[in-house]
Amino acid sequence: MGDQMSGPNVYSELRMPLVDGNKRVGDITADICRPLEGRAGPLWWVAFLTAVTVLGVGVAAVGYLFSKGVGVWGLNRTVGWGFDITNFVFWVGIGHAGTLISAVLFLFRQRWRTAVNRSAEAMTIFAVMCAGIFPLIHMGRPWLAFFVFPYPNTRGPLWINFRSALCWDVFAISTYFMISLGFWYIGMIPDLATLRDRTVSKFKKKIFAFFSLGWDGSMRTWSRYETVYLLLAGLATPLVFSVHTIVSFDFATALIPGWHTTIFPPYFVAGAIFSGLAMVLTLMLIARKTMGLENYLTSRHVDSMCKLIIGTGGIVGLAYATEFFIAWYSGNEYERFVFINRALGPYAWAYWTMVSCNVLVPQFLWFKKIRANLMIVWILTIFINIGMWFERFTIIVTSLHRDFLPSSWTYYIPSKIEIATLMGSFGLFFTCFLLFCRFLPVLAMAEVKGVLGYARGRASTENGGSS
Amino acid sequence: MKIKDQVKTKYRLSLQQDAIDEQPQQAGFEGGGADRSRVERRTFLKMAGFTVGAGLSWGCTRGGDRKLVPYLVAPEEVVPGRPYWYASVCGACPAGCGVLAKNLDGRPVKLEGNPDHPISQGGLCAIGQASVLALYDAKRLKAPFNRGQESDWSIVDQEISTEIERLVASGAKVRFLTDSCLGPTDSHIIEQFLDRFDDGRLVIYDSISSSAIADAHALSHGIRAVPRYHFEKADFIVSFDADFLGTWISPVEYTRGYRAGRRFDGELRAFSHHTQFESHLSLTGSNADQRVVVRPGGMRAAVAHLADTVARRLGKKVLSSDLPESGVEQTVMDDICKRLTTHRPGRALIVSGENDRQIQLIVNHLNEMLGAYDAGVVDLEQASLQRRGDDRALLELRDEMARGEVDALFIRGVNPVYDLPFGQELAAAMEGTALVVSFSDQHNETAEHAAFVCPEPHFLESWSDSEPVQGVFAIRQPVLRPIGNSRTMMESLARWTGVSAEARDIIRDSWRQRVFPRAADGATFRQFWDKTLHDGWTEVARDAVESAYDAGALAGLNLRPQAEPKSLVAVTHASMAVFDGRHAHNAWLHEMPDPITKMTWDNFAAIATATAREHGLQTGDEVRLTTPDGVALTLPVLVQPGLHGNAIAVALGYGRKGTDRFTAIGPRWLEGTPTIEEGGMIGANAAPLIRIVDGNLQFSGRAVTLEATGVKRPVGCTQQHHSLYIPERLAIEENERRDIVRETTVIALKTESAHGEHGHDEHLSLWEEHAMPDHHWGLSVDLNACTGCSACVVSCQAENNIPVVGRDEVVRSREMHWMRIDRYYAGENEDIDVVFMPMMCQHCDNAPCETVCPVQATAQSAEGLNQQIYNRCVGTRYCANNCPYKVRRFNWFNYPKEDRLQNLALNPDVTIRTRGVMEKCSLCVQRIQYAKIESKRQGRPITDGEIEPACAQSCPAKAIVFGDLNDPESRLVRANQDPRQYQVLAELGVKPVVSYLKKVRNRTESGGSDERS
Repeated sequence: MGDQMSGPNVYSELRMPLVDGNKRVGDITADICRPLEGRAGPLWWVAFLTAVTVLGVGVAAVGYLFSKGVGVWGLNRTVGWGFDITNFVFWVGIGHAGTLISAVLFLFRQRWRTAVNRSAEAMTIFAVMCAGIFPLIHMGRPWLAFFVFPYPNTRGPLWINFRSALCWDVFAISTYFMISLGFWYIGMIPDLATLRDRTVSKFKKKIFAFFSLGWDGSMRTWSRYETVYLLLAGLATPLVFSVHTIVSFDFATALIPGWHTTIFPPYFVAGAIFSGLAMVLTLMLIARKTMGLENYLTSRHVDSMCKLIIGTGGIVGLAYATEFFIAWYSGNEYERFVFINRALGPYAWAYWTMVSCNVLVPQFLWFKKIRANLMIVWILTIFINIGMWFERFTIIVTSLHRDFLPSSWTYYIPSKIEIATLMGSFGLFFTCFLLFCRFLPVLAMAEVKGVLGYARGRASTENGGSS
Repeated sequence: MKIKDQVKTKYRLSLQQDAIDEQPQQAGFEGGGADRSRVERRTFLKMAGFTVGAGLSWGCTRGGDRKLVPYLVAPEEVVPGRPYWYASVCGACPAGCGVLAKNLDGRPVKLEGNPDHPISQGGLCAIGQASVLALYDAKRLKAPFNRGQESDWSIVDQEISTEIERLVASGAKVRFLTDSCLGPTDSHIIEQFLDRFDDGRLVIYDSISSSAIADAHALSHGIRAVPRYHFEKADFIVSFDADFLGTWISPVEYTRGYRAGRRFDGELRAFSHHTQFESHLSLTGSNADQRVVVRPGGMRAAVAHLADTVARRLGKKVLSSDLPESGVEQTVMDDICKRLTTHRPGRALIVSGENDRQIQLIVNHLNEMLGAYDAGVVDLEQASLQRRGDDRALLELRDEMARGEVDALFIRGVNPVYDLPFGQELAAAMEGTALVVSFSDQHNETAEHAAFVCPEPHFLESWSDSEPVQGVFAIRQPVLRPIGNSRTMMESLARWTGVSAEARDIIRDSWRQRVFPRAADGATFRQFWDKTLHDGWTEVARDAVESAYDAGALAGLNLRPQAEPKSLVAVTHASMAVFDGRHAHNAWLHEMPDPITKMTWDNFAAIATATAREHGLQTGDEVRLTTPDGVALTLPVLVQPGLHGNAIAVALGYGRKGTDRFTAIGPRWLEGTPTIEEGGMIGANAAPLIRIVDGNLQFSGRAVTLEATGVKRPVGCTQQHHSLYIPERLAIEENERRDIVRETTVIALKTESAHGEHGHDEHLSLWEEHAMPDHHWGLSVDLNACTGCSACVVSCQAENNIPVVGRDEVVRSREMHWMRIDRYYAGENEDIDVVFMPMMCQHCDNAPCETVCPVQATAQSAEGLNQQIYNRCVGTRYCANNCPYKVRRFNWFNYPKEDRLQNLALNPDVTIRTRGVMEKCSLCVQRIQYAKIESKRQGRPITDGEIEPACAQSCPAKAIVFGDLNDPESRLVRANQDPRQYQVLAELGVKPVVSYLKKVRNRTESGGSDERS
């Protein structure tokens, strides 16, 4: 909160406190646990019921899909993937910010991550859940989905096709989900113990006691915990890069012009982090207002995330330019056509939405004044998410709809069922997230406590330093 | 090499004949008076087997468990699962192509052209292929109808016999109306029947009439006949609106002949030059080397100008010194004339499909000048019997009916109330006629007005015969017991004159008396009959035909233009799908994309691009066409390049009653719309646009006005982009045209082959290639031979149980055809080039679809086939996305059939795919497997040409060649050595086994005079 050049607490810019409002350890516990203990407010109920309704619409749409067939979507013989895989990649991408914040920033010792990492990681898990639904429902015969797993059988035995990027997806996404879940859960154990100790309700106490695995807060337990945490962070870090790389291979290993390009792995990973951070901010900016977490999720946190957004957004913008250049430079008529068709063809509206939301919008965040204005930042993050959704849509649909043989060129329009399914995935996401906000600590209490004394200055020893 | 040579009794004799063979030879036994009970038991068992099979398939649903009941006493020599082939004759149109009907599990499931038959020569058109579905049509009448009420034969026979007696006694006027689908025995029986009456006459008319050709020959040569055209003998073909590759008279035969005259197999042997004059874009026009767009109504002048140019050149008398202008430049005529006259006579063929006597007289005059008659290119000696219609007799009948003079009318094989412009008057007159009997198998527009409807069986379930051209006779034998209680016309007529005889016996008697005596080879009748039944055809001696050209026929030639030069004129033409409407109840044909327009499930008002721009119309906008005398038609617009600016082309054969049966076709879901609404009709009937001019039915020339109704209609087109050229604003220099269909010219080819140029890419690979030591199956598609007729598309549908998806799904680009013919235009206005490219799974050795399937549902077989394993497929559609040729088809829904009887049309050798499963061309793996099993059983290797996938087998031009790439002697490998060979998208490194041979056009780039061999 500005430089104070006088007084005993002198803060340099590099060491601004991470928690405002002179919080003490106990305050943190109280602040974070309070929303979990009382009754949910009307705002939560309204949001929750809306989310559940939207989820219901989605469930109905998927039910109809299963009963009738994939034909209820707008796909056709040329465009075999539309909203389904767009949504899949969109959701997986969103999940990457959580892992970045949890794992990568942990290894980089970015202590400001502590305010965001719990909910970001939760967001990752829910996003991966939403993502994982789409490969399942987009299948023509989803009741045989288990065919993609290499289970022991008597037909040879018949293995899956390890050369297929969809097979790698199966492993990547399931690994990602399990590691993220594990990491999130294990990181939450001290907080669950806190809740266990605090709750009055007998039922809740039992649940928390079960999940906190007998946490006793002893030195040895903490030491082991920190080691495991570090190991998991180390395990999860490569996932940030590998999972979306593998998802990008769904396209890069195909031969369709517009898909068949080696730029996809870094491009997708950067894009994933970009969209994920935008989604984290979207959620956090609401949560901080509604749950009274302004002191924990300060404008400095927002500032740091915005800087990350500019960085990754810059990579994405550079990738767009590179693709165009390489397409022209390659001299390959199909490659050249795909890009001109994207910019000037029938889907130009999707392309330009994507470019304006992903390249132009983040440029506003160069300005400190804008970064400081949280309302504007929130609006910008919405646009970024829209832009990132359109990026996947553009990549998938415009590359497919006009490929090699002009006789197979078509136009794809999503059906109402597809739109309902997309909405349903948002419904699922928000339902889970709202439940999370209601029942689990939104901030990692233990970790925030750990950085509370940060930048307190050695002068202020009367507070006893960090606990 | 014919397979028949290897397998002795490949073509079976009739089902009944097999039974009779069991009989010990008795004295005087001629096969006619067979022991009835014995025959009945055998045929009963066969029927029992069929019924059981039918019952089983009727009861079968996906996933259900059913018990199979084997034959109690199996018919000898019938092995379940083994096909039996019976030679018969297709009855789908009057051309009379010989077919082999494949009988599998007791019923016909596929038709193939009889390779020995002189008309079909192994090919069969799309309509012929689809006729097997019409056999299993539950809506065919199953019993006779008496004044709209279902009745039975005894009652109907009683009433009609009584009525006939009365008519005979009272000196009545009796007319028999039929079309050219009339075999010699049928003709004879009708004549015999009509002889009983004081005034009985047979009136033959063809809804797609060629009566003017016969009339013209009557005047010019003294013989009223349509000649047999030998396209294979012609080096120069000039066609004035004769769609001989598509719908004109005998397209399968003509395609074969045309192709024979345009071969380039490594070296140039014969390459004909084909010029087409037409107002709309027909299939034949799209294949022509030179296409001249003529104003509708200007054809008379065009033919006359050519005739006079040729006459002047040859020093003969011109028709007139003052011909009306035709809109065609004289330089074009001079060019054509030079070509026609520079080389030795007798190599040119002029044809016209216009039903105008003046034009036909001039055409005869031209052919005479060019020596076509003498050389036998236009063959009057062996004249065609495929169009025996006489428009004048038809009009006379109309007048008689209008005056109420006709006492009895028998109608067979035609639907005059529907397909004639005066159909409604005829209907009214029929109501006033004492006895009207229809032999139709449906309550069509005409049968509605008939007191008695005595349904005839389908051609696959009845005995008949055919004489397509003089002297060539064929027997049509049943391959199935009739489904339903129908009876052939000859049996009905016999019954009504007090004779109870079976069709087979009637035919045998007729042949014994009139055909067998003309047979030359000294066999007994029994041997002659059996051989004909076995082979499918025979040729007997013809009466000598005296014909001499009489130039006096040209006296009084009327050369006035047929239509106003400035107005919009309707041009009606037969549809390649439903012909004249007789096949409008066939779902396969409706779903077949029209070869030129790629449209399905509808007919359109096709207008030229310039006209569309003028009126601000786009494809799908609904318009109303009105004529000055009150005819109105509402149709969706189709913007069609290649049309003359004044022409509005409308296909005949649509707007048929009963097409609302297709309301159940196609999947039912939230946003889906039915193919046709209840009580609706597919398309609109264009017959009212037909004119009567000079005693002939004229199919073009009626002035129409066009106005938009403001409604937008969904168009089921399987192609949304029609050019190899990228849309202008998206194109970059050097990359405007995609090199997918390659063309060359005759001259370029000759130069290339002289230099031995032969460009083929070599692909290096890091990986070990698939080892295919035994067989490596491949295909070669000759774009020069392919005319785009789409017979292969329907043949594939019949063979591989491809579902019909309905109009809405086609609108959503989800048609299921494994085989498609891509049609590309070059150019936009009148002057366009058209290319056709059959596209099926390329069975890439380095298949991009195989690597991406997560569950390994698509794999490479050890023989080079890319296999789709249906029961493993979970339907992720990644393979379809990764296919650069987009040949894969996904089952988006479970597609309902119209009714259970249609399940009998399914080929038992091919799995039915459920929803959620991907499918694609399998190179007819069931046929490959069958050949492998047979060859193994017989202990011999597979011979080249033994295996023919359905598409290759059906092609009238034999454009597709299947073979073993490992066999250096195979036709396939030799075709691949052709300098014209290339592969589509070879640069992707997918190594397709399907090669294409470049299309050859007989023209120079500059359009000057062309070379010929």
